[in-house]
Amino acid sequence: MWTFGGQGETGRMCALRGGVFMYIFICEDSLEGIFTGVYDACASRLGHRNIHLASGEPENYELFSEYIRVTPSAEKTQKVVSTLISRFGRQFYESICQAAMSGERRSRKKMDKADAIYETILLALACGDGQKVLLSLGEPCVYRVFELCRATNREACQHLQFLRFSELENGVLFATIHPKDHILPLLAEHFSDRLPAENFMIYDAPHRLAAVHKASGGYALADAGELDHDKIKRYSGDELEYRKLWLAFFDHIAIDSRRNPALQMQMIPKRYWADTPELSRF
Amino acid sequence: MNKYSKTLAIGEHMCYTCGEHQFRYGRKKVQSVKIQQEMTLMEKLSILTDAAKYDVACTSSGTDRRGNKKDMGNCLAAGLCHTFAADGRCVSLLKILFTNECIFNCAYCQNNCNSDVPRASFTPEEVCTLTMEFYRRNYIEGLFLSSGILISPGYTMELIYQTICRLRNVYHFNGYIHVKAIPGADPALIQKTGFLADRMSINLELPTADGLKKLAPCKSRNTILRPMRQIQNSIAENKNELVVYRKAPQFVPAGQSTQMIIGATPESDFQIMSVAEALYHNFDLKRVFYSAFINVHPDADLPVLPGGPPLLREHRLYQADWLLRYYHFTVDELLSEDRPDFNIYLDPKCDWALRHLDFFPVEINRASRRTLLRVPGIGYKSAERIVKARRTCCLDFSDLKKIGVVLKRALYFITCSGKMMYNTKIDEDYICSCLMADRTQIPREIREGGYRQISLFDSATPGESAVTQEELIRSEAVAGA
Repeated sequence: MWTFGGQGETGRMCALRGGVFMYIFICEDSLEGIFTGVYDACASRLGHRNIHLASGEPENYELFSEYIRVTPSAEKTQKVVSTLISRFGRQFYESICQAAMSGERRSRKKMDKADAIYETILLALACGDGQKVLLSLGEPCVYRVFELCRATNREACQHLQFLRFSELENGVLFATIHPKDHILPLLAEHFSDRLPAENFMIYDAPHRLAAVHKASGGYALADAGELDHDKIKRYSGDELEYRKLWLAFFDHIAIDSRRNPALQMQMIPKRYWADTPELSRF
Repeated sequence: MNKYSKTLAIGEHMCYTCGEHQFRYGRKKVQSVKIQQEMTLMEKLSILTDAAKYDVACTSSGTDRRGNKKDMGNCLAAGLCHTFAADGRCVSLLKILFTNECIFNCAYCQNNCNSDVPRASFTPEEVCTLTMEFYRRNYIEGLFLSSGILISPGYTMELIYQTICRLRNVYHFNGYIHVKAIPGADPALIQKTGFLADRMSINLELPTADGLKKLAPCKSRNTILRPMRQIQNSIAENKNELVVYRKAPQFVPAGQSTQMIIGATPESDFQIMSVAEALYHNFDLKRVFYSAFINVHPDADLPVLPGGPPLLREHRLYQADWLLRYYHFTVDELLSEDRPDFNIYLDPKCDWALRHLDFFPVEINRASRRTLLRVPGIGYKSAERIVKARRTCCLDFSDLKKIGVVLKRALYFITCSGKMMYNTKIDEDYICSCLMADRTQIPREIREGGYRQISLFDSATPGESAVTQEELIRSEAVAGA
């Protein structure tokens, strides 16, 4: 169904989904990028039905779509965040953030992350009740946000359990993780509460990020591109001893007549094994 | 303090059988200390972990406590499992015995005074350092401390109290602590310990008093239930106190639990579940754990289990336990005197549903939450989601799938806007055979023929036996349901 309008912008508004003619906002795959995208998309006044958001460059460009690149802006992000929190509450905002933090690979079969977030926010704005919108899983965009949010939560929860600190020479606790999603802030939050009097650092290897916590202070996220890989292997004197004790405990706690490696693997999937001393024996 | 504590410093004992336990009263004390000193922390940890591994209650849930900005530790209500051992069971807490020396002679226990196992004892200092160092490396979520009965129940409880007290007040540990209350200990000691621990438990050990008398002659129903009642009353009192004084010290905030050994004595599932139900109702327990009996040493009173521990039975009991706690089922609905055991082929909820087909089909868009919870394939979370989601729109089968309902099980029992998913009969045999057609519904033990006794003179080839096995399962399941 093609509708030809008068002149200028409206003339190009052929409000057909399925890639006939669309404005596609390409945002950076980060919280700031997506929120700026949401802000720009709303402010552009091109009509919500004509707008899609994409988190990252598309694999294939569509012939009749116009691509608009979004530069992340802290100010615009702040505006979106304060609107979300003041109008729909903290819980709604957190769900949106968790969905945005997901590192799930984009696929053509599933709705784009940024697009799902954008449409969910639009629904919430129209309905006025964020919690109600999040429960209407019949909406594809809400379901997608729910799915992403659940995946991120699960990943974060697994890492709270399977992350292991090692004490370095200088007394700092150091942990390396390999998560799929950007869960570092969630982990840092948890461990700052748990170990307030420790200096610790969690290194997110695939994203090259680190959360650094200073004893009786807060934590900060830092770029860890230039991490000293020799320094993090120099353990303190006690470290290896406690690791051995832990391995002994781990071996002895299992009951031989109940041995069930399949169950073990189901409960702690293999991708976590490399970072846990008891299963990788490092 | 106990009268023995003057002659013996804490943890300075070592004896190999409790028949000799007079020498711990002072005469050969020097020798016993010597044996103790030769043992490294590693050896002690190995021995005392081995000794504690048959205890099942390794959960860290029930308390939600934020960190206090200076001490190490916090607690999450849901609990965290830090790793999974080779048997697939979670390792959440540092589960150790304080000592595995024991004056009791419980037949099922590998630490009983007649068994020939190496003995060791920790010192409170060692337990504290291990806990702190493991905790800060995120190996564990807290401490689970139990103990063999050293000298007397009171003396042992005192040792446990000293350790926990040290951990909380000297080491300022703010994480999760689960301790055993020793039956027969001084109530005042149990009270003091309760203010330091998150969860306390007293093991019921065996479901009936007769079984207990036979296998654990040193324990009695009375000595087990008395401290259980005491803890229950103290928790109730403490709750009232907390209403008035918000900062009052908390008594066992994560509640108390207990455990029963399954398969050591001939009780039926009906008896076991009735006991569990009574415990939940009368003693306000948070959890009852079931532990498949493992024969650790030969004893004429104990059954020999050639097929290994009764894991499937344990699994069914846990499933039923969840039905009691979260799904508003009662034991009488699931089992009866005539059908005293669970169907091993079907889970208790499916089994119940097949025997109560008059209750079904249930209309998803109108049924109450309690009714939804009775449908096989709808869990606690999905029921909650359905109730919330249907406020805004009329739910369809595709929505149910998104919500997380297991449709392959639920489809026989539900309608959406008056329609069933497929054209299915509401007939017991038909539904049962459909459910069985899905191989994943059959427990692994049966699927892989774990229940089949292999005979030396078995002539059937493997291929043939697989077919007959499957047919057998199907026919027996129908008969069982």
